[in-house]
Amino acid sequence: MATLFWVMTVGGLAIWAFVVGFSLYASRWKRAPVSEASAGKVILLAGVVFPVTVLTALLSYALWLMPSLRPFGGAEQAGLRIEVVGNQFWWRVVYHAADGSAVVSANEIRMPVGERVEFSLASADMIHSFWIPSLGGKMDLIPGRTNRLSLLATKAGTYRGQCAEFCGVSHASMAFPVVVMEPAAFDAWLDARRAPSPAAETGDPGQALFMREGCGNCHSVAGTPAAGTSGPDLSHVGSRLTIGAGLLRNDTDTLARFVAHATALKPGSQMPAYLGLPVEERAALAAWLKELQ
Amino acid sequence: MSDTPDRDGAKAAEEAQLRAVWANPTGWRYWTSVNNYQIGLWYGATAFAFMLFAGLLGLLVRAQLAVPQNDLISPELYNQAFTLHGTVMMFLFAVPIFEAVAIFLLPPMLGARELPFPRLGAFGFWSFLIGGVFVCGSIFFGAAPNSGWFMYPPLATSEQAGIGADIWLLGLSFIEVASLAAAVELIVGIMKCRAPGMRVNLMPLFAWYLLIVAGMILFAFPPLIAGDLLFEMQRMFDWPFFDPARGGDPLLWQHLFWIFGHPEVYIIFLPAIALLAMIIPTFAGRPIVGYSWIVLAAVGTGFLSFGLWVHHMFATGLPQISLAFFSAASTAVAIPTGVQIFVFIATMLAGRVIFSTPMLFAMGGIAIFVMGGLTGVMVALVPFDWQAHDTYFIVAHLHYVLIGGMLFPVFAGLYYYYPLIDGKHMSDRVGRLAFWLMFTGFNITFFPMHLAGLRGMPRRVHTYPADIGWDWLNLISTMGAIVLGIGMFAVVVDVTLHRRRQPKGETNPWKAGTLEWISEPEENWGVRSIPRIESRYPLWDQPNLAREVRAGQWYLADAGEGRRETLVTSVLDAEPEHVLRVGGTSTVTVVSAATLGTVFVALTFKLWLVSLVAGVAFITAVIWWLWTGTGEIPEKPEKDIGRGVSLPIYASGVKSTGWWAMFITMTGDGTAFASLVFGYFFFWTIHDDFTGGLAGPGILWPMTALALFAAAWAATLGAREANRRGNVASARLLLIAAALLSAAACAAALAGPWTAGMDPTSHVYPAIVWILVIWAAVHGGVGVLMQLYCLARSLAGRLTPTHDMELHNVALYWHFMAVTALVTFGVVGLFPEAL
Amino acid sequence: MLRLLPKEVESLWTLFTAPVVWAGHFLLCYVVAAIFCEKPDFLGFDFANLRVAIGILTLLSLSVIVVSALLAWRQWGFGAGDPPHDDPTRRDRLHFQGYATLLLSGLSFIAVIFTALPALFIDGCLR
Repeated sequence: MATLFWVMTVGGLAIWAFVVGFSLYASRWKRAPVSEASAGKVILLAGVVFPVTVLTALLSYALWLMPSLRPFGGAEQAGLRIEVVGNQFWWRVVYHAADGSAVVSANEIRMPVGERVEFSLASADMIHSFWIPSLGGKMDLIPGRTNRLSLLATKAGTYRGQCAEFCGVSHASMAFPVVVMEPAAFDAWLDARRAPSPAAETGDPGQALFMREGCGNCHSVAGTPAAGTSGPDLSHVGSRLTIGAGLLRNDTDTLARFVAHATALKPGSQMPAYLGLPVEERAALAAWLKELQ
Repeated sequence: MSDTPDRDGAKAAEEAQLRAVWANPTGWRYWTSVNNYQIGLWYGATAFAFMLFAGLLGLLVRAQLAVPQNDLISPELYNQAFTLHGTVMMFLFAVPIFEAVAIFLLPPMLGARELPFPRLGAFGFWSFLIGGVFVCGSIFFGAAPNSGWFMYPPLATSEQAGIGADIWLLGLSFIEVASLAAAVELIVGIMKCRAPGMRVNLMPLFAWYLLIVAGMILFAFPPLIAGDLLFEMQRMFDWPFFDPARGGDPLLWQHLFWIFGHPEVYIIFLPAIALLAMIIPTFAGRPIVGYSWIVLAAVGTGFLSFGLWVHHMFATGLPQISLAFFSAASTAVAIPTGVQIFVFIATMLAGRVIFSTPMLFAMGGIAIFVMGGLTGVMVALVPFDWQAHDTYFIVAHLHYVLIGGMLFPVFAGLYYYYPLIDGKHMSDRVGRLAFWLMFTGFNITFFPMHLAGLRGMPRRVHTYPADIGWDWLNLISTMGAIVLGIGMFAVVVDVTLHRRRQPKGETNPWKAGTLEWISEPEENWGVRSIPRIESRYPLWDQPNLAREVRAGQWYLADAGEGRRETLVTSVLDAEPEHVLRVGGTSTVTVVSAATLGTVFVALTFKLWLVSLVAGVAFITAVIWWLWTGTGEIPEKPEKDIGRGVSLPIYASGVKSTGWWAMFITMTGDGTAFASLVFGYFFFWTIHDDFTGGLAGPGILWPMTALALFAAAWAATLGAREANRRGNVASARLLLIAAALLSAAACAAALAGPWTAGMDPTSHVYPAIVWILVIWAAVHGGVGVLMQLYCLARSLAGRLTPTHDMELHNVALYWHFMAVTALVTFGVVGLFPEAL
Repeated sequence: MLRLLPKEVESLWTLFTAPVVWAGHFLLCYVVAAIFCEKPDFLGFDFANLRVAIGILTLLSLSVIVVSALLAWRQWGFGAGDPPHDDPTRRDRLHFQGYATLLLSGLSFIAVIFTALPALFIDGCLR
């Protein structure tokens, strides 16, 4: 893929320079007109023979490359399957391990390095497109369809992913961080998410606020009665890198800000702005959310 | 043949009468003009105005993106701005401007007085103006479409799209009708109205390109009209064509949109290249090298461009093998495109090039376009497109293609052809300054977008974070956009102010060889007399031609009967066939466009009664138009056109231009119908049981409808034959029978889904069956109107055994109707049973 | 061989023969492959058969294009005259038509081969 890109970029620039240079030669720099027969040969050689040769080679190479980039047909599956459901304007993420167990999360992707991971992509409302530029091409999330995409990360690190298909007012604010981890670290991370966060059962005042304000109608927090599904799962929200689908860095300040100003920060999102919530209550709520590690 | 003064006097009287016949009305009635010069100018000026408006929207978009986290405009306004920018540029500038140039240039270029249907051209212009103002105006009420110019459902079918989506769908459907009207006009004009002797091997290349482009419109626009129909049925009546919960699929829209959308790029590009094919030989001072290669390139591009649509859908999860076919065609289309570029280079190589302002724009356009073409090959390859799709790389690519392949050539054309408008030159100094501002501004704006896209910036984002390497690229782009805007502004100033101070120049200032330079800016008649053409560059090779034509020494130099006339010639060798009397000034064009516009606007606001009344008014206006303006029986059978040639004035059947117009219209109509049938089978492929377990229309009613339509078709043909044999009474009886049979057929058609209780809002299967059946029934209804129209003409003595043009055209319509019925009822009646 | 071919047809439409063949070939390939992948049971054959079918269709299309090219070559007078064919005679008009048709046949030939290439490289309904 990288080879294809560099060949095309360098080759393209060379061809461009040749065509423009040749046009300038033909129109300004040449001394005397050439014969019509020679000019006809130019059309045949530069306009037909050369492009056909180059294009045949490029097309064959690209077609040969395609199956290796997205190798999954009918029933084959990778060991780890990550289900992603696009929503305006956030991502539901469900990790399906090989043993059939599932872990629900949102707005962040974690995956092991060096292992091909399969994504099943669906949408709850509009067409979205799932794209992690550093890891590979994109695939649309289309209502009524489930698309498959497989990605292979070769280097651990944190990347940025984003919705690539215009999906409404806050399309620009529909991103997500991608953390590529060593396989052992990834397994440990995933295991830690199979159980509720310790903070979920502490009887923290933030938790009481969360329930009082009805947050649980839309959000789930494992280990509490909150089991809503129309918003992102918040079971371990404190450990995520960002909030608001890649919108803000995750800390207690931004959490409090998001609770109070969701509609301003993310126009068109379903999350209401809790402007009426007193500042200290916002802080308590944010503190508890941040503790959901 | 006595003495010269007498002859001069006679010639002067002849010329005065000709001028009077072709004169525009004065006062407010000027706006009822139909002459191709006026329509072409209005069309062009309107399209330019829309372009400037969309350009300002583009600047607004760039201003918002200049810095990260900018809050200059709200995301809601931003989304309306970029949607309208794309929509207006594509639908209200790029396509109409070529229609404008063609309507303005073609008659003199082909050596014709006028295009064959001037009133249709005027109707198209007024439709375009009304629809365009309606669509553009919406943004001032915050009601502009906001889902991107390709309007993907479910976003565009949702509440969030608001009334803007209806404005887009109905406003643009209206404009698409205007484009189809222009296609009919251009195809018939180019095939049948060329000067005698202008064989297909002598046709100006502009005409070749336009012929291909008009043909492409016939096959590209109807799928979008069909898509619009399905879309609007979902928005207005909740028919679930794109709703997956009820068996629909959003991807159907993407197919229909891009079956239109990709050829449209070439519909925009080819006419612009056609301008270069006229300009470059003039400044190279020699005929084009590789005339046949250009024909190859135009035809080849025209065909291949229909095999590219899925390359806009590479990331939708279609099977790789399907993507690969489209990748292959997208690669192949680079071949004819490359040929065109090298034809120009070869022509310059073999000539001595004068580097004038038009040439500057032409060369700049080629340099930009080639870059866009090369990135086009990159994105044609699936692996790279998975990465680049929907990013700023695509934004850069498409602007390189469209601005290099269309805007710069159009500006070259503006500078080149301006003297034909009022005999004056545009300013050379301003032109060169504008060019360099536009060229550098353009590249500064759009080159960095390639990099922004490669760095992961998706398109259509109203803002972006500061720390991920997109900020300075965007700032540079915005700076460049300002320079580009200043360049455009310079041209606007040049057009509106500077030229007024200029003296009138000579005709044919560039010493061009093609026939359009024979026309005189102050005259409306296209050519004073219609010459016989013996060269591709008649003004170079036929030395006395201009003088003889202007002296009225060639064919059809007079308008002795006080009628606007032009010659109709044969397709291949352009042998004169008959004299065509074209429509003159009339209010009917404005009235028709206004009533049809009212229908669309009223539908947008769901004012059913208003749209019904306006619809009836529109049909009445069209019938009035046809009754008074077409099929007139001439006062004498033949006219002496000079030089000892006498030609018939009336023609019917294949020889008449009306028959061709019907044929072409129905080809486009058939394409729209085929798109609906495609939808039916599309739903079949994506579902295990596409009927959703619901009852179908059965076999009985569809087959009854088919039989009745077949009988109506046979009766119509019988009426034509009976009339031709002079048996007028039986012809009339057959027409009555045909009308009754058609009405019964329509009823039987609707009875199928009606008696089966098919509820179109419950599932997509009943919905698509209803749409097909309604399509057939509406066409049947139009068929009834046509049969009754012929009957009325016959009773009024305006249709006789020897003057039966209407009956031929109606019979032709019924051939298409018969095929439509066969397919519709075969599909809805038999296909579910056959499974 | 050339005697078996039909008499010269005086029509503009002959120009479009080869591109129409390309269009038919392209559409058939696409439709058959799409149905094959969407409704695997409907056609009742496996991918190898699909490849063979595309192969046969491609050979058929290429032969029709070759016939169209031969006819065009004859119309061009077997290359008797060189372009530009711009005399105001029926003869030159025919030569022009023949030459342009020949060029279009060449382009269509390449385009048909391009369209068939996917079947060589891609096996199965990968997505």
